[in-house]
Amino acid sequence: MLLKKVCMLGSFAVGKTSLVRRYVDGFFSDTYLTTVGVKLVNKVVKAGKAEVTLVLWDLSGDDEFQRMRWTYLKGAHGYLLMADGTRAATLAKAEELEDAMRKEFGAKPFVFLINKSDRRAEWEVEPAWQDGLVARGWDVMHTSAKTGEGVEEAFRKLTAKMLL
Amino acid sequence: MPDEPIFRLPLDPDEEVTSGHGGSFEQLRHLILAPEQEDLARLRARVESPETRTRDLSAVLPEAIAMRRAAGGEEALGEALRPTVETALRESVRKDPGTLADALFPVMGPAIRRSILQTLRSFFDSFNEAIDHSLSLRGLQWRFEALRTGRSFSEIILLHSLVFRVEQVFLIHKKTGLPLAHAVAPAVAMQDASLVSGMLSALQDFVRDSFHSAKGEILEKINVGELEVWVEDGPYAILAAVIRGIPPPDYRLRMAETLEQIHRNYAGQMERFEGDTAPFAGATDDLTRCLEFQYKEKQGSKQTSYALVFAGVLFVLLAGWWSYRAWENHRWGQFVETLRGEPGLVVTDFERRHGRYEIRGLRDPLAADPQVLLRGAGLESQDAEFHWAGYYAMDDVILEKRAGALLRPSSNVKLSVSDGVLRAEGEASTTWATEVRERALLVPGIRGVDFSQLTDTDQAEFNRLKGLVQAAIIRFPLSSATPMPEDLERLRGLMPQVRALLEKAQLLRKSVEVEVVGHSDSSGVESTNIPLSQSRAERVVYELARDGVSRGVLRSRGVASLEPLRKEESEESRQYNRSVTFRVVASNAGASGATSATIPGAMRSARP
Repeated sequence: MLLKKVCMLGSFAVGKTSLVRRYVDGFFSDTYLTTVGVKLVNKVVKAGKAEVTLVLWDLSGDDEFQRMRWTYLKGAHGYLLMADGTRAATLAKAEELEDAMRKEFGAKPFVFLINKSDRRAEWEVEPAWQDGLVARGWDVMHTSAKTGEGVEEAFRKLTAKMLL
Repeated sequence: MPDEPIFRLPLDPDEEVTSGHGGSFEQLRHLILAPEQEDLARLRARVESPETRTRDLSAVLPEAIAMRRAAGGEEALGEALRPTVETALRESVRKDPGTLADALFPVMGPAIRRSILQTLRSFFDSFNEAIDHSLSLRGLQWRFEALRTGRSFSEIILLHSLVFRVEQVFLIHKKTGLPLAHAVAPAVAMQDASLVSGMLSALQDFVRDSFHSAKGEILEKINVGELEVWVEDGPYAILAAVIRGIPPPDYRLRMAETLEQIHRNYAGQMERFEGDTAPFAGATDDLTRCLEFQYKEKQGSKQTSYALVFAGVLFVLLAGWWSYRAWENHRWGQFVETLRGEPGLVVTDFERRHGRYEIRGLRDPLAADPQVLLRGAGLESQDAEFHWAGYYAMDDVILEKRAGALLRPSSNVKLSVSDGVLRAEGEASTTWATEVRERALLVPGIRGVDFSQLTDTDQAEFNRLKGLVQAAIIRFPLSSATPMPEDLERLRGLMPQVRALLEKAQLLRKSVEVEVVGHSDSSGVESTNIPLSQSRAERVVYELARDGVSRGVLRSRGVASLEPLRKEESEESRQYNRSVTFRVVASNAGASGATSATIPGAMRSARP
């Protein structure tokens, strides 16, 4: 069996928990997030002939109320970096988080998800800024935890990157 | 040091002997070192030659292994040899499975037997356990608990009978929190190992961060109700055991040893772990060995014996009840057979319902009373419920009873029925016989009548009266046609009998004539005797007629001395010849002279 530890990173309320609640299996309740600060779920992804079980660590958001526990990130094989397209602050925060991750654990495979693509009209994403990220080698994807748009693809993309 | 050698030994036979210092030194060197050098050369040759080394090692290898084992290094030796032995075995099987099979043959049999024995023993143990628990109050409580919690009863027994049981063991990669291997006890509900491992690992981090513990310190034990999670820490992995109940303290030592063993075997793989758990498949066996458990000591055999006694008593009671029921059924079955054999009873249905035996059928009113038969068979009448429908039975016995009840014969007559024909024996009047002959054919089931063995009392009476009348002698004085006074009285006394005789004759449908014969003695002449005898006869006829006897049946005849009653040897005998006698002539309708006392066959009649 091939297992990969994958962390979900992003500011508070960017949609990490909604995403894992709807598209993956698990039995821990959301209260783990507020108590222990992490909630685990499994996501089985087919990568070619192989099947990879992603153990997703959904960490409670990093904001002034809840400090993210960096120890939970150790050993991660990759991570999903998430931001809310309708809140510019979360986009900036994503950049900070990526920078911090790299400094702490070295370069790890990740995919950047700009969530809430179902509310594209309200987005505060500047195309130039996004192009800049792509230019720096980021994989940027637009997802919607509500409609499921891009979700499966994001998991597949990250898996492929981790297996390289 | 002398200039000239004192003596010399050639080191080499081919060597030239030289003189001078150099030569002397060489000689001395040879002298002193030659043996060592030779030894050295020989040793070098031995060490450098693989053949020699192999030979040397082969000479001491068994002793070396024995020595290592004696020194207590058996485990390390076994661990070192294991891969080689495994490869060798695998290779042997691949080449020719027969060789290994032959070698194992003597071992396999006992091993299989022991395994079967063990299985049977554990089956009986669990069976006994189940009986114990099923019959005790505690067992009932557990059964209720099983119902309440939705768990199986055996699971509840197991939980209560265990001191402890290690339900799951996780080998968790320390850095990633991913499970490297996982073992779970049979019948334990398990969650996803990767999630539990991750969460356990997260909890370790959480506690360490929250309470600022030192780097090496970990959360060693987590208590959750009946469950405990014991954690053992290693450089690359942690071992977590989920335990129900209270394990012995030395179990932690067992965990530590297992973790060390795993680190010895897999340290490199764990360090390089990138998510592929395949290399750790072998570690699962180590974890499985950690799935220890221990049952509670039996609470003494007392409870078992109580349970056994209870079970025994229950069994005896059940067997007794069953036997009683079988015996009772047998008795009732026999009773029903008796009923079936009873004339006038037809059993159509017999079954046990609501604890009572229901018997249905047909019953002739004259058949034996089933309640009486029931009591006769020694059965309780409250256990029976009869449902009879009435009918006329055609059995001879019942026909006999029915005929008796309807025809009411006198005590002198015995009725019997054979094949539907009514027979009467004994004595009965013609009146009765005539009446009964007609009525008998109206009795249901009677097809014919046979009165041939019945004596007719009317005929007998007729015969008696006839005899009485015919025996009577009415004497007359000499030359007189008036009876002697006492004989006149006798005549009067005879009159009722004559009347009765005539009545009987009428009853018997006979035509009767009473011939009154007048006699005279032989004295005198016949010419006077004939009128005298005629007068005597007429005188008696007159007397009878006067008394009410029909003249039509009376005939008078004077025979003088032609039919003397006695020889006239004395005056007394002569007196007897001066008399009147009677002769009764009876004939049946059309027939004459038949005076049989038995009723003729004509009385026997049959339906067409």
